[in-house]
Amino acid sequence: MFAESQLWAPNPSPALVDPLALPPAAWLTALASMPGAGPRRLARLLRRWPDPAEAWRAILEGDPTDIHHTLGKRNTPLVDSWRRFVAANDVAELWQLSSDCGIGAVGCTSPAFPSMLADDPDPPAVLFHLGNPDVIAGPRVGIVGTRKCTRYGHDIAKTFGRDLALAGVAVVSGLALGVDAAAHQGAVDAHAAPPIAVVANGLDSVYPRRNRQLWTDVAEAGVVLSEAPYGQSPERWRFPARNRIIAALSDIVVVVESHERGGSMHTVTEAALRDVPVMAVPGPIHSSAAEGTNELLRDGCAPACSVDDVLIELGMVASGRESSAETRPDPTGQQRQVLDALGWLPATAEQLLGRLRWSVAELGACLVALETAGWIVETNGWFERVARG
Amino acid sequence: MLATVASASLSGAQGWPVGVEVHVSGGMPSFSIVGLPDTSCREARDRVRAALLSCGMEWPMQRITVNLSPTGVPAGGAGLDLAIALAVLVASEQITPLAITSVGALAELGLDGTLRPVPGVLPLVDVIAADTVVVARSNHIEADLVAPGLVRSVHTLGELIDILTGDVAWPAPPEAPEVADEPNHPDMADVRGQFFARFALEVAAAGGHHLLFVGPPGGGKSMLARRLVGLLPPLDREQSLLVSRIHSAAGELLPSRGFIRHPPFRAPHHGASSVSLIGGGTASMRPGELSLASDGVLFLDELGEFGPSTLDALRQPLEEGVVRVARAHGSATFPANVLLVGAMNPCPCGGAGSPGGCRCSEAARSRYHRRISGPLLDRFDLRITVARPEPAELLSTEAGEATSEVRDRVLRVRAIAAERGTPPNGQLSPLELESVAPLTAGARAVLEQALAEQQLSARGLHRVRAVSRTVADLLGDEGELEAEHVQTALVLRTDPLAGGRPRRRQHVR
Ligand SMILES: [Zn+2]
Repeated sequence: MFAESQLWAPNPSPALVDPLALPPAAWLTALASMPGAGPRRLARLLRRWPDPAEAWRAILEGDPTDIHHTLGKRNTPLVDSWRRFVAANDVAELWQLSSDCGIGAVGCTSPAFPSMLADDPDPPAVLFHLGNPDVIAGPRVGIVGTRKCTRYGHDIAKTFGRDLALAGVAVVSGLALGVDAAAHQGAVDAHAAPPIAVVANGLDSVYPRRNRQLWTDVAEAGVVLSEAPYGQSPERWRFPARNRIIAALSDIVVVVESHERGGSMHTVTEAALRDVPVMAVPGPIHSSAAEGTNELLRDGCAPACSVDDVLIELGMVASGRESSAETRPDPTGQQRQVLDALGWLPATAEQLLGRLRWSVAELGACLVALETAGWIVETNGWFERVARG
Repeated sequence: MLATVASASLSGAQGWPVGVEVHVSGGMPSFSIVGLPDTSCREARDRVRAALLSCGMEWPMQRITVNLSPTGVPAGGAGLDLAIALAVLVASEQITPLAITSVGALAELGLDGTLRPVPGVLPLVDVIAADTVVVARSNHIEADLVAPGLVRSVHTLGELIDILTGDVAWPAPPEAPEVADEPNHPDMADVRGQFFARFALEVAAAGGHHLLFVGPPGGGKSMLARRLVGLLPPLDREQSLLVSRIHSAAGELLPSRGFIRHPPFRAPHHGASSVSLIGGGTASMRPGELSLASDGVLFLDELGEFGPSTLDALRQPLEEGVVRVARAHGSATFPANVLLVGAMNPCPCGGAGSPGGCRCSEAARSRYHRRISGPLLDRFDLRITVARPEPAELLSTEAGEATSEVRDRVLRVRAIAAERGTPPNGQLSPLELESVAPLTAGARAVLEQALAEQQLSARGLHRVRAVSRTVADLLGDEGELEAEHVQTALVLRTDPLAGGRPRRRQHVR
């Protein structure tokens, strides 16, 4: 609903728009689109010219020395490229494209800028948003983890997302595949506290595309934030930059499942820089998808074995909420044995057969029946147990 | 003067009788072969002339015309050299016509007059109508298989002329080299654990279902695949002759004591060209690996590394059971009735492929998976995820069932199909399945559920039903298919390349 809008809502002759009538968000969008306009440089411009329209005019018509002075360093090629950009681009046109997608913007000098970000050691200069940015209030917990999670990690992320939202805690995450998506799915399904997503690309297109529906749902129920202006693709450097905003927005960061290295471990580092407590969900010691989280626990991170652990760490009263009633038909006899043999680590049919020593037909019948009943799922030939919803 | 010597030429795995007629007459010295292009004609002339001169005979400085009869037969190949040489000698009156009465010839000539072996002696000698067929020494044993007692071999053209014109005796036939035709497949008893993969091999052999193993290196995929060929029924006489012909046509060594009697196992490297895999290429259109594996197993290890166009070229022959190769100068048909076994890593990092174990980027993974097209994946009725064996399995001292025991069950299932008057279950048409594989209500419910959850396509449904039939036959349940049979077939057909998404929709709660 965002990206397409520009296709059938073309810009109505921008020349007719009165530049003075453009909101500050329009000028912020234009400034952030300048080549090499990272958060630090943008912040300097905005502190010098709190009205972004003035900053734009200063680049266009002002004394370049003034810009160099503001940047704190002489950088002629950069300032020249900005002048060319400013001369060549129509702010109204750009704003039309961006606002047609429903994208709003707020600068770091605005009173509307989230305070926890304004005080950040490495704050964003401009924050673009889809949905309602005012939801960034109240308790917030970041839930992060690997894109390639196991069923175990997926189920925990989803349950945590749901139960935190039900407890009134906003879930902050990155809308990546895997743990991120599962956590937000849980939060969206709860229809309770608003979800907050921070992404790495311009808000006019969905990345990764598989999360299209979830992205829309989060924007409707809460807010999707990004430092990247309209039209920016998710370049590599933008992911670690995005992770720092997740850390900065969170009261606590919970790592659900993480390999030894990866984006979520980077978020942990950013959280540590900001004294944001990090909790980790323990995983099976054989699971490579849990190497990072188990390492965090060994290093002294608090374990998050339930949502109550997280709520208590937040200083909130434990929910005391029972997990939802089991609706799946109780597996009996051989099916129960298969479930016990499977445990909570993924296994192939071969491995299960080795543990059970049955005939293939006996096992096959149980596996398909358990799958139909929702007790297990099969992915790429691996069977995994599904936790109670 | 005119002289004719019988020979043969090869197209695909098929030999065609060729009468080599040579006419020598006065006129400008020249040499032509009717209907053959100048280049192959010049090459033949140069070889035959040099060979004649090197054994002290003369090259007639006259007009030499060679005609290959009947016209329209795909003729050509260096195997006609010897026949041309003999016919030239008679036509130019250097040796008497009596000397070559009912003599057929099949050999290439070296410039020094030596007889050189040609590929495809089996199908070639088979079609030569002559009382004596002369071949190169190293072709003797193979030729003798189809024309016992009629085959003679010599080292050089000079030696042959002495025998044909004097009272020199034919040299004794060469000693048969030891090329074993023992079934050289490794035994199933060597496999520790891996009961699921063993069962998949049994189903593949019993029903003739193509099988794909997916798993990390070290999971024993190729070890398992090599054991499949031992489970297949031995070749009957007709198959044995056909398989031997194909191997002969490809220039492969045949076993010393006769025809190939055991199902072949071929494992071409992933660097293999499309031509070497499918067949065709040269003028004589060699059979490819697909045909060499006919009535046996074609094992494609590292399936993802084969060229996409090569894999694509496999599809049609797999469907039809034959390879059709068409070239400018003709076409050929080879059998391609193979049991295909593929093996591949789950992803480029190969690390594990298990959930959470893969470290490839999403893009690298889907690029890798795109190499195996949907239609090709569809050919595999059985798709087995192979993990590294668990330590307990490796340490197990319990020997698995031996190949001979498993093969007994396979043969029983094949016999059941024969009694029904149908091909092996893997080749049953949807129509045949209706009558051969009726479903109980329970089995129908399982299939309907799988269809509803988009786990199965309409084509997939037929394939699962065919595998269910084989599973039931193996268990000795010959009547309607039960739910258990269908469920087993479904578990034998997981999608190893589903891109990390569960095959089923999330259970609705
Ligand atoms: Zn991988």
